[in-house]
Amino acid sequence: MTDSLDRRRFLKVLGVTGAGAAALSSCGIGPEPTERLIPYLIQPEDQIPGKATYYATTCRECPAGCGVQVRVREGRAVKLEGNPDSPINRGRLCARGQAALQGLYNPDRIAHPLVRNANGTFEDIDWDGALQRLSAKVRESHGKGIVFLTGAEVSTFGDLVDEWMKQVGGRRLSYEAFGFEALRAGNRLAFGTASLPTYDFANAKYLISFGADFLDTWLSPVEFQNGFSRSHAFDAGRPASMAKFVYVGPRLSLTGMNADEWIAARPGTEGTLALAMANVIVRQRLARAPVDASRLTALLARHAPRAVAESIGIEAEVIVRLAIEFANSRGGLAVAGGMAMQYPNGAEIVAAVNILNYVVGSVGTLVRFGADLAVGSTNTFGEIATLTSDMAAGRVALLFVHGANPAHSLPGAFQQALGKVGYKVSFSSYVDETTAACDLVLPDHHPLEQWGDSHPRAGVTALQQPVVQPVFDTRQTGDVILKLSGKTGTFQDYLKGKWRAKHPTGFDQYWFDSLAKGGMYADAPTRAVRLATDVGSIAPAAPAAPAAPAAQDQEVIVFPHPVLHDGRGANKPWLQELPDPVSKIAWHSWVEVHPDTAARWGLATGDFLLLKSPFGAQKFPAWVTRSVRSDVLAVPTGQGHTAYGRYAKDRSANAFELLGVQPNGYGGRSFAVRASATKTGEHRTIVTTEGSPRERGRGTVEVLGLARAKSLHPGDAPFHHEETPEYAAGAVEWWAERQHEKAEIGNYKGEQPRWGLAIDLSKCTGCAACVTACYAENNIATVGEELMQRGREMSWLRLERYWLTDNEGEPQGAVNSPMLCQQCGNAPCEPVCPVYAAYHTPDGLNGQVYNRCIGTRYCSNNCPYKVRYFNWFNYAERGGEYEAFPEPLSMLLNPDVTVREKGVMEKCTFCVQRIRGAQNQARLEDRNVRDGDIVTACQQSCPSEAIVFGDLNDRRSRVYELAGNPRGYHVLAGLNTKPAITYLARVVAQDTPSHG
Amino acid sequence: MVLILALPPVAANGQQAQSASSSATRYQAPVVTDTGDLKGPRQPIFFRHDIHAGQDQIPCMYCHYSASVSSEPGIPALQTCMGCHTQVSGSTPSHQAEIQKVRAAWRERKPPEWIRVHALPGFVRFPHMRHIKVLGTQACTTCHGDVQRMPQVEQVSTLRMGWCVRCHMERKVTRDCSVCHY
Repeated sequence: MTDSLDRRRFLKVLGVTGAGAAALSSCGIGPEPTERLIPYLIQPEDQIPGKATYYATTCRECPAGCGVQVRVREGRAVKLEGNPDSPINRGRLCARGQAALQGLYNPDRIAHPLVRNANGTFEDIDWDGALQRLSAKVRESHGKGIVFLTGAEVSTFGDLVDEWMKQVGGRRLSYEAFGFEALRAGNRLAFGTASLPTYDFANAKYLISFGADFLDTWLSPVEFQNGFSRSHAFDAGRPASMAKFVYVGPRLSLTGMNADEWIAARPGTEGTLALAMANVIVRQRLARAPVDASRLTALLARHAPRAVAESIGIEAEVIVRLAIEFANSRGGLAVAGGMAMQYPNGAEIVAAVNILNYVVGSVGTLVRFGADLAVGSTNTFGEIATLTSDMAAGRVALLFVHGANPAHSLPGAFQQALGKVGYKVSFSSYVDETTAACDLVLPDHHPLEQWGDSHPRAGVTALQQPVVQPVFDTRQTGDVILKLSGKTGTFQDYLKGKWRAKHPTGFDQYWFDSLAKGGMYADAPTRAVRLATDVGSIAPAAPAAPAAPAAQDQEVIVFPHPVLHDGRGANKPWLQELPDPVSKIAWHSWVEVHPDTAARWGLATGDFLLLKSPFGAQKFPAWVTRSVRSDVLAVPTGQGHTAYGRYAKDRSANAFELLGVQPNGYGGRSFAVRASATKTGEHRTIVTTEGSPRERGRGTVEVLGLARAKSLHPGDAPFHHEETPEYAAGAVEWWAERQHEKAEIGNYKGEQPRWGLAIDLSKCTGCAACVTACYAENNIATVGEELMQRGREMSWLRLERYWLTDNEGEPQGAVNSPMLCQQCGNAPCEPVCPVYAAYHTPDGLNGQVYNRCIGTRYCSNNCPYKVRYFNWFNYAERGGEYEAFPEPLSMLLNPDVTVREKGVMEKCTFCVQRIRGAQNQARLEDRNVRDGDIVTACQQSCPSEAIVFGDLNDRRSRVYELAGNPRGYHVLAGLNTKPAITYLARVVAQDTPSHG
Repeated sequence: MVLILALPPVAANGQQAQSASSSATRYQAPVVTDTGDLKGPRQPIFFRHDIHAGQDQIPCMYCHYSASVSSEPGIPALQTCMGCHTQVSGSTPSHQAEIQKVRAAWRERKPPEWIRVHALPGFVRFPHMRHIKVLGTQACTTCHGDVQRMPQVEQVSTLRMGWCVRCHMERKVTRDCSVCHY
């Protein structure tokens, strides 16, 4: 390991960004600072100064096991991108995955081992001393209870821990705050197998989700989103065009707001609905009955739509309609999860949804058993609860915690029980709540600094390799364990040994190939399943709802935050500043309240509500929204840390405090509690980027009904009427000519491309991966809660969410529109700049010359899209009040992009650094830039492949073809700005969409 | 660890390759008696471009190899120096003293901290490879001056924008701001 890392040793050959360089610009004032150039001792073979090197490794931000490629410049990791070889994420990466970089260079990382001293505070200790202390503790704890708690860890590291625990007489448990116990239990109830299948969203023709948030937090979001966009997007002429998506659940999540129809079933009745649909399908013989369907006869007979409709809270006709649509699509896929599997009857709900899939023949085709996703491999919540009581009873003498933060997600019981454990050791890289309570901290390398692997599913083994030198004096936990267990060699040797045992012949080549590809990928075997013999006995009836919910007794659901998840994302400023895709709230928590409830309580958005459950009480500011049922309050997790670094600590409230610690019947945790809600009288301005929840026909987003979209032919232009009105045509032409004259400089004449983007709103889900990609690529500063509240966020690319409503005004999903600089052909920003900092480039960009900008902000005032962002402070200033890149966070700055200073306007320029890079490369190779050479950061990350970049003047380019699509329109086209971005209208399953 | 032991082409067989006629006109680097007279910043090791690139005719690209493929010309790794200087010890005591510094740096794994001569502000991108591609590998002198005759490297061009643009105008190539500023 030392050798290979040595070759990547970073010596600042070209440390020219930042303050020193900026001072140079003020030529003539004072002496120029002396910069030093420190050469490498040995030039790394795989690095050329000024050129990026890419390494394949595996994302460990969640257990989905996506492959990533890390862009490394001069020894620093500067960007994470999806690995196209990986069958899971196919080259795409979500916001959470990309923010792993901010975990690597987090300013609050633990720099060296720590030990608790007599005063109860941490003090530094060297590695040898720490390991000596630990091996003594292991010896004396033998037989008194040793437990090693990990995150979801189906990997060689997990095997090593198991081996070691066996050796010292301990046991390993794995813990994820949002487990998948109900999925396992439900699959066992329905099919007699507790394994987790794969779901083929790409080939589904009708989708119904019973609470499963497969676009944000459920199992493998990037993979599912990619598949979803293939089946759900509209592509005229394709037979599978636009699979309808129905979402069943008490609130609209990121997944829910992408649905064509929202069934706000009463919480806990999802299973009843699924069985009622199955009843209709079997009774009306809508699908060929499976051979063992007789096992279901009695069960389904108890679930006639008319009999159960009232308990679900919807009309029987709707159930019948859904069932007919689902079966007649001949490719229906139903999934259950998220909220639906966190009620006490979660397992039965999952089993009922399994039955629904089974009666239409989707099990074995769209739902394939055999892969056994590792994400569901963790110990059940019941087993964790047993551990907690063991700890509380003093039956655990030595506890190791790695890759989990149970003190945050199990705040009450676990935290107290921690105090009863003899000696606690944390391997965390950050002082999180669990680590803060430990006695010894042996910081692990960040996953980007270490060797490892993971088996996210059968057939796929993803490999992890160190891509940078360790930033701090950390040590890989695998190495620590090997040393403690008296084995020789490093964890890298151990890992290779395990791999060699599986592939003894030609191993070196095999290993090399695996490293290059990021792992070994094969199809998961498919295993046929049949209904369990006692499947007829399940009873997914919901607990009886109280007749009239009083303010003193509210159903509160606690849901995982789409980007902060269980709280692990809270120490990364990119994720804190990323507005939640649904609420558009950043930097703090909230409670979702339906307007009817809010009116009853006299509650406005921003008023604090005190939620008091039998287990705990927390205050949250209200967000009044129609995207939640009126009898339900919903609270996200993620915030409310009492430790975990400057970005996470003391921010809002921890929703886990409200939850109980009793496991339910199938060993899962219940995320729905009954709590009292009282208005506290306090109020805060919520930090939101939402301008208007509705689009109000301004022409920023366009929506087409499915029938209308299908009837469009090439050449049709349903949105053309919004382009230049006739009376203005002459003036616009004149203007364009003048602009063109001005722009005709340089050698582009006759061969100028015009860079453009096509964004398909039918594919965009609003997941915000593009936003984080833009922050990472373009050195965009995070400004913090206070400035964001004042509307000073710098997100060059933002997602605008507009609700789609039905005739009653109830939201039926939303349209998400990525809004970025439109690179107008007639740009309003350009003529108002007094210093020509905003100008038109020969290749059609609205250029922004930072060093020329004097900060009049006229351009921003004149921009109808509001996509220009002003540096009110010097966010790059060392130690400044609003410093966005404190050491070593500055290591991830992209050296190809200027770090902007105070008083400068900045904006999207279609990743001009990537354009110039591709042009330079093409010139070196004596060719023209080919379509597809330039991939913008947003396009690269998009899990739904909604964004396409290219040359609008190239008639063979993909973007040219898409720009001519009949669904295409320009935002605010009536202003004659001639944008280079073509949006493709969202298509919804309803025939008469309303978004007024 | 792989040592590059191959010598640069000219240094290795330059004498043989050069005919007698050209060796008569071959540049002979001067003996520097007073380094205080030299322009440019004093460097931690008195590395003489005039000896290496002028007298010994080592191509610029031998050390600054990435200039033709990357934006950055790169500073040669110490290993590159040691490729020759494990064997070449210098002919005069003053040369030998400087070469000893290189060897000591290599032994102590402590590379010299060169003083930067040519620097551009952080908001400018200068793709070296495109200029080399168009002007050829001998064109370094266009901007850096006659480094082959400089005992100590100094900056001869202003590297200001007007200076860049003048050349771009003469050659009728792009004057678009966003080619360099982004």
